[in-house]
Amino acid sequence: MATVQVSEAEKVYILHGIRDDLRVDGRSCEDYRHMEIETDVVSNTDGSAKVTLGHTVVLVGIKAEIGKPRPMVPDEGYLEFFVDCSANATPEFEGRGGEELGTELSNTLYKVFNNKRSLDMKSLCISPGEHCWLLYVDVLLLQCDGNLYDAISIAVKAALFNTKIPRVHISADDEGGKEIELSDDPYDCVRINVENVPCIVTLCKVGHRHVVDATLQEKACSVASLIISVTHKGTVTCVRKVGGGSLDPESIFEMTEAGKRVGKALHAPLMKLLQQEESLGKKRQKVGFLG
Amino acid sequence: MLKSKTFVKKTRSGGVMKIVREHYLRDDIWCGSEVCSECKQESTVLQRDACIESNLCPFPHYLVPDTNVVLHQIDVLEDPVIRNVIILQTVMQEVRHRSAPVYKRLKDLIHDKEKHFYTFTNEHHRETFIEREPGESANDRNDRAIRVAAKWYSQHLKTPEAEAEGLRVVLITNDQGNKAKAEESGLLVYRCEEYIKSLIANPELVDRLALSNNEQNEISSSKVLFPEHLPLSRIQAGIKSGTFLQGTFRASRDNYLEATVFVQGEGEDSTEIILQGLQNLNRAVHQDVVAVQLLPRDQWVAPSSVVLQDDGVPKDDETNEEEDGRRKRICVEEHMKPTGKVVGIIKRNWRPFCGMLNVSQIKESTRHLFTPADRRIPRIRIETRQASTLAGQRIMVAIDGWPKHSRYPNGHFVRSLGSAGDKETETEVLLLEHDVPHQAFSQAVLSFLPKMPWTITPEDMVKREDLRQLTVCSVDPPGCTDIDDALHCRELDNGNFEVGVHIADVSHFIRPGNALDKEAANRGTTVYLCGRRIDMVPELLSSNLCSLRSNVERMAFSCIWEMNHNAEILKTRFTKSVINSKASLTYAEAQMRIDDTSMNDDITKSLRGLNKLAKILKRRRIENGALTLSSLEVRFHIDSETHDPIDLQTKELMETNSMVEEFMLLANISVAQKIYDEFSECALLRKHPAPPPSNYDILIKAAKSKGLEIHTDSAKALADSLDVAKVDGFSYFNTLLRILATRCMMQAVYFCSGMDSDFHHYGLASSIYTHFTSPIRRYSDIIVHRLLAVAIGADSTYPDLMDKHKQSALCNNLNYRHKMAQYAQRASVAFHTQLFFKNRGILNEEGFILFVRKNAIIVLIPKFGLEGTVFFDGKGKTGVNLRFDEEVPSLTVEQHTFHMFDKVNVTISLDDSNIQHQKIRMALLEPVIPGVSVPAPEVEPQPKKPKLDR
Repeated sequence: MATVQVSEAEKVYILHGIRDDLRVDGRSCEDYRHMEIETDVVSNTDGSAKVTLGHTVVLVGIKAEIGKPRPMVPDEGYLEFFVDCSANATPEFEGRGGEELGTELSNTLYKVFNNKRSLDMKSLCISPGEHCWLLYVDVLLLQCDGNLYDAISIAVKAALFNTKIPRVHISADDEGGKEIELSDDPYDCVRINVENVPCIVTLCKVGHRHVVDATLQEKACSVASLIISVTHKGTVTCVRKVGGGSLDPESIFEMTEAGKRVGKALHAPLMKLLQQEESLGKKRQKVGFLG
Repeated sequence: MLKSKTFVKKTRSGGVMKIVREHYLRDDIWCGSEVCSECKQESTVLQRDACIESNLCPFPHYLVPDTNVVLHQIDVLEDPVIRNVIILQTVMQEVRHRSAPVYKRLKDLIHDKEKHFYTFTNEHHRETFIEREPGESANDRNDRAIRVAAKWYSQHLKTPEAEAEGLRVVLITNDQGNKAKAEESGLLVYRCEEYIKSLIANPELVDRLALSNNEQNEISSSKVLFPEHLPLSRIQAGIKSGTFLQGTFRASRDNYLEATVFVQGEGEDSTEIILQGLQNLNRAVHQDVVAVQLLPRDQWVAPSSVVLQDDGVPKDDETNEEEDGRRKRICVEEHMKPTGKVVGIIKRNWRPFCGMLNVSQIKESTRHLFTPADRRIPRIRIETRQASTLAGQRIMVAIDGWPKHSRYPNGHFVRSLGSAGDKETETEVLLLEHDVPHQAFSQAVLSFLPKMPWTITPEDMVKREDLRQLTVCSVDPPGCTDIDDALHCRELDNGNFEVGVHIADVSHFIRPGNALDKEAANRGTTVYLCGRRIDMVPELLSSNLCSLRSNVERMAFSCIWEMNHNAEILKTRFTKSVINSKASLTYAEAQMRIDDTSMNDDITKSLRGLNKLAKILKRRRIENGALTLSSLEVRFHIDSETHDPIDLQTKELMETNSMVEEFMLLANISVAQKIYDEFSECALLRKHPAPPPSNYDILIKAAKSKGLEIHTDSAKALADSLDVAKVDGFSYFNTLLRILATRCMMQAVYFCSGMDSDFHHYGLASSIYTHFTSPIRRYSDIIVHRLLAVAIGADSTYPDLMDKHKQSALCNNLNYRHKMAQYAQRASVAFHTQLFFKNRGILNEEGFILFVRKNAIIVLIPKFGLEGTVFFDGKGKTGVNLRFDEEVPSLTVEQHTFHMFDKVNVTISLDDSNIQHQKIRMALLEPVIPGVSVPAPEVEPQPKKPKLDR
């Protein structure tokens, strides 16, 4: 993970600022940085989104493929995550440098998103026990400036919202043989219900307080952070602690409450934004990577 | 400007893939019209005065046909009258997708400068590209694209100049919806029929219109004659589950109510299924790929050996059905074969068919039946107003469809080939019917010919051995201009012989992959007809640059052996060379030189040496079990003025024939061995499989009837027993037996060594064989030349040469072309034989019975090499008592019993009662059987006049 060197004096400055609810860039403790979202950025995926959060840039692409359902849940499809830490983001990722972080991120994402409470897995099933859709969620880190979890989770939600799965029909002939038939119309697709898809809020414990959307400098001052995934109703679906330091129950409780609050507030504008973008349809000016 | 096209595709493994293509739009696509001053085009295709006499559009106009019009009415578009047509890219792509043959014809039209067809790449034009909208089907989208492009054209051409001319764009579509929408947007639009009918100056074009289904002229009663075909999805499911079988439909040549379907099974096990009766044939046409359902075992039948033709005036359907039913019952239990019925058509393989019109009895009728030349094709109902002019002409007709309530398929007239019986017309017909490519070579092909005057350059000499000083000569049939082989023989200082076979180096001129090479590969072989030759390579090569003529320097590929006096090969070497043939001899000339003891020049000595070695080689080959078979080949003496055959003689064989043959065989075997050693996976070889023992049944039975025994365990045994099979006082018997033996043989075929394990050549008793010695007239030899050149490092290789699957595909084409060429040759001989007998009247000849059939005997006339059938039943001969014994085989007619090889006297005459299938008719003269045999020729009534009302 990208690291920055922070001197003692800087640390003190940051700590004191946070204590007074005024961070280096002028935000309060529960404020996010400026965020930009664009969907449908990679044309050869079924759904994609690019999220810029401060200087953190992540790109998520979703490819739908037909596969076999898992034997335990024959009537459900599933998701697979892969996080690619591009050496573009930081030279440390070069070679296999980003592998460890990538695995860690994808495992977390798998836990957060791949369950029937966040997504209706049954809607991904084509014919029970035989065919289902499996969604390959590929995450590409383009720039790292802290708070990867939040940025990725928002991008995943946006990409899932954007995903268009081609509609298929199962035609059964007299002999019971099944054939998958594809609709001839490229506009004939199925959308995924993302209502219950959670977003991750990372809270960093800095001094006695905690902040959301920590920059790299703030992260360097923090001893431990809590990753909380929150749905639009404010339900916490997953909590995980990362970092070497310890957290006392009191502050865990406080942080969870703050996470719920921030997460709930995050969903509404996100969905509004996505729907707005969608309604523009073909008239939308694409920004892409050079804009 | 960049757009992207997105579509989803199903992969072969069952997955679904989203494919995105980048699509670039341009603003430099010009309209191609002469009147346009806006477009910066260098040359224009569409004319200024695009006038055509039409009472719908009296002003000059350009046509924009939609996809279905192109697909179905390509025959109309091909007419020279139709010019100035804009073919949109959308239409091109759809046509290409739906029908490869039509696409090719369309491409040819566009390339034809006279036709002024312009391709407008509307899909890449900035203003005419449209994206598919949600809820719009692909077809709707394409229709819209066509309309948008037509609209664009009509607006684009609104220049003052065009206005002055009154130039407009006319959209042609048969789709009602499309037409309505086009009219709405202010386009000038007509249905195809409407438009063609408006061309007052060319009423004959209407005949070429394909009958479309929506305005189905209720041709026959609405009674449903045939069962419905199943939809493709059910057929596919049925084939998967095994209830249906897929195969190629082959109609029987002799019986129009019978057909077989050849089902290719896994590996070796392929089956043939018999279909009998119109209902079971269910509108399948020869060569269609069909789905067949097997009938229960108790309904299985045996193939009938009766000859049944659907001839004369159209019979009532009911009687046909009855006949059909009767036939089913007469079959014998033990010959039962799997029997089935057609349930659906997987792929139609319709092509335009040659044939003639049966003019309807009813005057003023525009519907007529057309009888194809190929008996396996059903008759086709067409509509024409020019029946009176077309009668007596050979015409081409295409099938449009076969509705289930019609006895015959519906079709339309394509073009006329000329009047029947004409030599040119008939030759054209037989070339078309045998799928022999015979058009003139295209400019693209000719562009790869060497520039004249051509000489051998010093660079050529560097890579080649200089053999110009050798006494090389060629020996060929008289009048041969494509000489591909020459020979030499000289004594070496050590007493051994050096023998060289020099083959024209065609592969030097035909480089792999260019248009010339592709054309030659497609043609596969030169086809020799009586009095005409259809070259595989352009004449400049075949008769000049490649032909090893005397006293000119020519490039050759030489195979040189050192042999001892026992004709044993001591050394073999292959080289590219330059030779200068000293003499081009005919077989007779060469023979004369050998026999004339007074001649002692180098050429003669060389010939004598060759002849001596050839005799040893031949003896050794025969000892090894090579077969000497016999088939009668006929040569016509053609009148130099009228090109009519004036005399015919069977080919005479001389010693020199076999001398040349012997060395060609030797060269072929040596080369085969060399290329196989070098390229075990991709050598192009030729094999001749041993026939299955059952093929010999007829031969053994026939010999037995004369008290002789034929052994067929091996080629050697067969050759030996044929040699001793002689009957005293019947000198022709042995030849007859050999002719029979030839008929038992399998076809020799080309194959790729990597795809097969059995290389044996049965007839030549050689373990390996190929064709090397006639590259001018066979494409296989060119490939072998290339392989050999790579093997000796004289030329570079290329990927396709080493690809065994491509090689194998090539072999299939070559085998097909060779077979067709052979059939065409036979048909040509048959036609000339008919011409010959036409001028002779009725002849009285002696012949031998070659085969005995259920209702006929097949007689061979040695004098003419002619075979004919003497029927004992049929018209006017009912009530003749026939008894057929299959075991002997023999046929007893009244009191007389016919055996194979019996000598009979027959009369020969030309039966031209059916002008399409003129045939030689034979009638029995001797032995005299009352009520069957005919009296001597004088009393024979004149052949009936052709049934044509001119």
